[in-house]
Amino acid sequence: MRPRTKRRVVNSVRYFFTILTLVVFLFPAYWITITAFKPASEWNEWPPHFWPYHPTLSNFFGGTSVSSIEGILPFLRNSLVIATIVSVVTAVIALLAAYSIARFKTGGMGLAGWIISMRMLPPVTIVIPLYVIYAKVNLLNTWTGLILIYLVPAIALGVWILITFINQIPKELDEAAKIDGASNLQIFTRVILPLSLSGVAAVMVLTFIQTWSEFLLATILTSNSASQTLPVYLGRFITGYNIAWGALSAAGLITMLPVIVFGIIFQRYLISGLTFGAVKY
Amino acid sequence: MSKANRKIAILFILPVIIFYLIMAIYPFASMIYESFTNLNLTIANSGQFIGLSNYFEIFQDPLALSSIDFSAMVIYIGVPIEILLGLVFAYLIRGLKGEKVFRTLFLIPMMIPGIVFGIAAQMIFNYLFGAANYFLSFFGVQPVAWLGQASTAQFVIIFLDVLQWTPFVFLIIYAGLLSVPQDLTDAAKVDGANGWQTFLHVEFPTLRPLLYVALIIRVIDALKIFGKIYMTTWGGPGTATSSWSFYIYKVGVSYGWDIGYASALAVILLIVSTILVNILIRFLNLGEQLGISKES
Repeated sequence: MRPRTKRRVVNSVRYFFTILTLVVFLFPAYWITITAFKPASEWNEWPPHFWPYHPTLSNFFGGTSVSSIEGILPFLRNSLVIATIVSVVTAVIALLAAYSIARFKTGGMGLAGWIISMRMLPPVTIVIPLYVIYAKVNLLNTWTGLILIYLVPAIALGVWILITFINQIPKELDEAAKIDGASNLQIFTRVILPLSLSGVAAVMVLTFIQTWSEFLLATILTSNSASQTLPVYLGRFITGYNIAWGALSAAGLITMLPVIVFGIIFQRYLISGLTFGAVKY
Repeated sequence: MSKANRKIAILFILPVIIFYLIMAIYPFASMIYESFTNLNLTIANSGQFIGLSNYFEIFQDPLALSSIDFSAMVIYIGVPIEILLGLVFAYLIRGLKGEKVFRTLFLIPMMIPGIVFGIAAQMIFNYLFGAANYFLSFFGVQPVAWLGQASTAQFVIIFLDVLQWTPFVFLIIYAGLLSVPQDLTDAAKVDGANGWQTFLHVEFPTLRPLLYVALIIRVIDALKIFGKIYMTTWGGPGTATSSWSFYIYKVGVSYGWDIGYASALAVILLIVSTILVNILIRFLNLGEQLGISKES
C-alpha cells in the first residue's frame, strides 16, 4: 500500500471510532432530548423509536401535574434564586479572601489548602450533622438553608480561581497606585477589582451551574415546592407504577440544558476549575 | 508586613474564616461528637454517650461492609477503565480535522447532572422497552433485566460512571499531550523511534504526574457517587449497588434517622477523603501554583 493510501485508511478508521465513541457517550443526553418530545404512545414502544415519530410539546404544557411539567415553575424559581444568590455571595467573599491570600500570603499554604479542601469533601458527611442543626434553627426547607450549604464548596472553588487571577495582575500596578497615595482599600477597588472582573464572571458561572445540578443536599434539606430545586423535582417525579417518561425527560432537558450551554461557552474555566489548574487550555 | 497591610489582609480573610467555622468546622465537630452517641431523631431523649459502640458496629454490619465494597468496586473497576479510555480517545482525536469540535462534544457528559443521567439510564436499560436490550437483540441476546439483578445493576452504575467521567480524564490527558514539547517527539522520530516507543519514552513520562492527579480526583469523586444510584437502582437489588455515601444516606435519613451510627460511618469516609485530598494538594504542587509557598 502506498503511504498516502495507508494514511487515508488509518484516518478513516480513526474517524469511525471517534464518531462511534461520541455516539455512545452522548446517547443518554440524546435519549432524554428525544423522549421529551415523544407523545405518551411512544414512551414504552417496542422496538424503541430513535426519534419522535409524532413530535409533541404536550410533555411541557397542558395535561395534569403528573403527565406534563406544568408544575415546574416554583422549582425553576427556587433553582434560579438559589443559584443566583450563591453565585453573587461567592464572588464577593471569595474575591476578598483571594486578594488577601494572593497579595499578603495570609495564613500561608495551610490556610489556602484548608479552604480549597472544602470543595473536595463528600457532601453526605456534612449533611448528616447539618440536618440536626438546621432542625434546631428552623433552616430546613428554606432558601437560606440551601444557600448557606452551597456556599461551602462554591467559596472554596472561587478562592482558588481568583487567587490565580489576582496573581496575574502585575504587583507594579499596586505599587504605582500606592505611590500616588492610594490606600489599600483604594488599590483593591480601583486596581484589583476591575482587573479581576473576568475571573469573577468565571466564578459566578461555575458556581451557578454546580449549584444548579446539586441533588443530594437539596433532597435531604428541603421538603416541598417552597424551596425544592429542579433536581429534587426530578427525583420526586419518578413515583408510582406508570412513570410519565416524556414529562420526566422534559424536566430533565430543562435541568441539563442551561448547564450544557453555559458549560460549553465557559469550558476553559470549567476545566481548569474542575482539575484545580492541572489542566489549562 | 506593615500595619495597614496586615489590617486589610485580616479584614478581607475574616468572612471566609467565620463562614467556614460556622458552616464546616462546627458541623464536623458536632458530627464527631454525635458519632459517640446513640442520637436517633425518631427516638425521644436519645443522644446518650455510648463511646465507640457505633464504630464497632460498622465491622459487624454486613450492609456497611458491602456498601464499602461496592464503593471500592466502582473505584477499582470504573476508574482504570476511565483512564484507559481517556488515554485512547486523546490519541484517537489528536491531529484529526475537527478535533476541537470532537473535544467539545465529548465534554457534554460530564456536565450533565447525575440525576438526569439516572433518568436516561432508567429508560435505556428498561427491561421492556430499553434501547440496550434492543441493540442486544441484534446479536440474538435475550432481554436482560438490567436493574433487577445484582451483577447487571452494578454493571449499569459503573457504566454510567464511566460514561460521565471518562471525558474528564480525557481532558486532563489531552491537555498533557499538548504540553509535550514538539522537538522532543521530533527528536525521537529522527532517532528512529516508532509510535509506541515515542509514547513509552517521551510522552508517558510527561503525562505521568497528570495521570496521578486524574486518578486521585476520580477516587475522591467516586466516593461521592449518589445521584445516579438514587435515580436508577436505589441501592438495589438488595444492597448490591448501595455505595458508601448512599448507605450513610439510608441509615441517617431515609430509613431510621439513626444519626449516631450514620455519623460514625461519615467520620470514617471524611477521614479517608481528607487523606486523599491532602495527597492531591501535594501532587498538584498547589503552594507553588498559587505563589504562596515562595517567600516574597
